[in-house]
Amino acid sequence: MADVNFERLVEEYYMPLYRFGLSLIRNQSDAADLTQHAFLTWAKKGHQLRDPSKAKTWLFTTLYREFLAKKRHSERFVDVEDDSQFVEPQQIAASIVDSLDAGIVQQALQALEPRYRAPVALFYMKQHSYREIAEILEIPIGTVMSRISRGKAELRKKLTDAAAIEDRKVVPLQREHHHG
Amino acid sequence: MDDREVRSILSVHRTGESDARLREAEQRAGADLALADWWTEEQETDRAIASKLQEMDVPSTLKPRLLSQENPPLMRQTAWRRRILLAAAAIVALAVMFGSWRGPFQPAVSFADYRDEMVSFVKVDPALELKSNELSHVRDYLAKSGAPSQFQIPKQLREMQPIGCRSLRFRGHDVSLVCFRRGEGKLLHLFVVNRAAVPNLRATAEPQFSPEGEWMTAAWIEGDQAYLVTTEGDRAKLEKYIPSA
Repeated sequence: MADVNFERLVEEYYMPLYRFGLSLIRNQSDAADLTQHAFLTWAKKGHQLRDPSKAKTWLFTTLYREFLAKKRHSERFVDVEDDSQFVEPQQIAASIVDSLDAGIVQQALQALEPRYRAPVALFYMKQHSYREIAEILEIPIGTVMSRISRGKAELRKKLTDAAAIEDRKVVPLQREHHHG
Repeated sequence: MDDREVRSILSVHRTGESDARLREAEQRAGADLALADWWTEEQETDRAIASKLQEMDVPSTLKPRLLSQENPPLMRQTAWRRRILLAAAAIVALAVMFGSWRGPFQPAVSFADYRDEMVSFVKVDPALELKSNELSHVRDYLAKSGAPSQFQIPKQLREMQPIGCRSLRFRGHDVSLVCFRRGEGKLLHLFVVNRAAVPNLRATAEPQFSPEGEWMTAAWIEGDQAYLVTTEGDRAKLEKYIPSA
């Protein structure tokens, strides 16, 4: 039985769980509902977990399963299978890296193909080992790594494209001409 | 292991999670200044992206809501919601009786789904299972993989050399993917699947062109195979290889 204090669990994981939810499901209120569902399920069933150290992975798995359950009701499901090969991500110019803000990164992440979104979000959250990510997403570890590799490449492309769009939005100010 | 492969492997590297391939790539980067510089820059970019994700705002009301252990609004079973569900169930039952509706949980597989998924897969250059310029080797490999191998390639494509192939799965069907280099550093991709996988693709040997974002696609049926060809660019780019009648 897991001897884990509920309040401490909330304190420690509600922010990363919410951010993971938000990276999956573009809507803040739905991300909050996913987070709430994960903790509620813990309150009801967490005592069944034998190893308290697995609480974090358990919460992320529960949130992800709920996301999939909702998604299956509303979206088609991508099932192109991956292999274990990696791709080389394109480099992003230092000026683009410097100009990144949370909103742009979040939008680029949410625009990823669904099969890449979750592994890439978990990769950048740095909360989990690859083995734990594989457990959360219920896919083999090789698939986790190839999806991270391809997802990162796609994310870089989207960030570069977003930066190019931002550049085009910059309209030079007209100089005022003072006569006389 | 060439430099490109080293960079591909290092891009998923995380400290403390090494397997043999990662260790070898790490050693290569340690002994090669250009690779080492590349990797330093790669890690800085990753750190910047990770730190921005940590800045995503979390609503201040969320924590008290979680600690109260209330049900999320969507999960609350209200009387009106139960009534709506009963009405929806009745509609589903009627629709199923009339046999023309597949239900929200088993959406019909459309050709558009297939086209979307295949094009999205090759938007990032796909990892090939076989790299070969010989179409006969490509066919042999695909045949061994259980994917379609006896397909007809349009004349203009036959004149190009393939660079390799791989097999994919789409809703339980094996798909062959053959990639060709078409110049300008761009690839052209041919997908072949049994036509049963895409029942609503119009049964015509005449290519049907359709844009998919910045990519153009052409699809047709020949024999029992459905063909899909795609490349980045406009219709004129693709018509050089897949002429319309």
